[in-house]
Amino acid sequence: MPRLRDELESQRGMMPEEVRLAYEAMVGELQRTGFIAQALQIGDRFPDLVLPNAEGDLVSIGGLLQSGPLVVTFFRGEWCPYCSVTLDALAAALPEFQAAGAALVAITPETGGRALLAKQNHQAGFEVLSDVDCGVGLSCGVVFRTPEPYRLLLEKFGTDLAERHGNTAWFLPVPATFVIDRTGVVRWRFVTVDFTERAEPAAILAALHALAASDD
Amino acid sequence: MELHQVRYFVALCRTLNFTRAAAECDVTQPALTRAIQRLEEEVGGPLLFRERNMTQLTPLGRAMVPHLQAMLTAAATARRIADEELGRQQTVLRVGLGPAIAAARVADVVGRLVRFCPELSVRFEEAGAPALVEEMLSDMLDCALLPDGPDLPDRLHRWKLWEEGCVVVLPGGHPLALRGSLTADELAGETLLVGERCGGFALKLTEANPRALTVRRCGGSWVQMQDLVAAGLGLALLPDALGIGAGLVSRPLTQPRLRRSVLLTLVAGRPQGLAVANFVKLCRARAFA
Repeated sequence: MPRLRDELESQRGMMPEEVRLAYEAMVGELQRTGFIAQALQIGDRFPDLVLPNAEGDLVSIGGLLQSGPLVVTFFRGEWCPYCSVTLDALAAALPEFQAAGAALVAITPETGGRALLAKQNHQAGFEVLSDVDCGVGLSCGVVFRTPEPYRLLLEKFGTDLAERHGNTAWFLPVPATFVIDRTGVVRWRFVTVDFTERAEPAAILAALHALAASDD
Repeated sequence: MELHQVRYFVALCRTLNFTRAAAECDVTQPALTRAIQRLEEEVGGPLLFRERNMTQLTPLGRAMVPHLQAMLTAAATARRIADEELGRQQTVLRVGLGPAIAAARVADVVGRLVRFCPELSVRFEEAGAPALVEEMLSDMLDCALLPDGPDLPDRLHRWKLWEEGCVVVLPGGHPLALRGSLTADELAGETLLVGERCGGFALKLTEANPRALTVRRCGGSWVQMQDLVAAGLGLALLPDALGIGAGLVSRPLTQPRLRRSVLLTLVAGRPQGLAVANFVKLCRARAFA
């Protein structure tokens, strides 16, 4: 399994200077306010929620859990190069997650058919759900309001969140990945306020193996 | 931000009173105050002016209310549709269809919604935009598909679902049917049917070319207008997204290129039933080709 960390590192190296400054300020502020503490914790129940999937059907977390444990990951959108390499890495790791008995769900605040585009562009054999207005992200405690300097830079580089989300709230999820057991309880999590860091597929797989071992 | 912080803030906006908001949310006042402070810290500024006898929203607070409210609604309506505790379980979805907007465009969305709400019944209503807006405001309709226009009231939330171009609809045996596409000049000497509920393209074209075209006014919907085309009363200009009746053909109008956007609209700030909330989510999530 190739290391996602290396891909992310190479993306970080290409970050324009002005973006890096806004990124450091944003991440620093989220760290200072203790954002991570509010995300779902190990032992919490993952809310049973219904969202539209990439194909335009409503999908429920409860329904997906009936076939086994679930890996749920939040991503900002395909405009984000870190999300993009992560989706590739997850698509590549999917067969191993499936061999461990689990399914994968990626959740994005993007609307307007962008979930389907992401799925197609990354040949993702997993569900990509559209968290319209970030209600599910809020329920999981992973959503924050993008500070203006960073948002203005996104616009400058051609990412219009208002158009992509269908609202002008500027909410985005932090990178967050949860492993949920069949009963809906969070058994492992990776949450960070730094959007250049992501859960390593090998670490997710290890968590799934540990979950399977504890269930035996 | 956390669900409870947003819930407390929205309750506080409603009551503008910490004691009453705390009672409404079933928490102590210090807990509510702490949660609001945390939220303020996160959004980067005070949401409320706290004066001795009065609590008021700051400009930032006012700007955040609709977004936080929408997020809270999205969270509530994402909970399982079958969840009984959500109370009023809406089983009727009432959708307005503006001029020359066919139910066919959203029928697939309704079909997918029905898989989750087997008890759902659907009512479509076709009318002009002002009538549909009025019905939404008086809670007779849940939402409406309307052409984008300057007259939509600010109270409506709106999302662009698709853009559509214009086609000339004519009988299959008409000489112009031999062409792959048509221009306004090529329509000179033809009679154009113009109706209030047919998408507005014909009106735009006749306003731009007042002399070249003969106009026949007709009421009724785009379906009835097609019947008149079939009967030889004239040609129709209709959105390219509509189905064309038997015996008729449609040709794109390439000069001028007329386009319009179709919006999904609903009244801002109104509590949404599960059916309409999930209908809106499904519509917003997908791309309409």
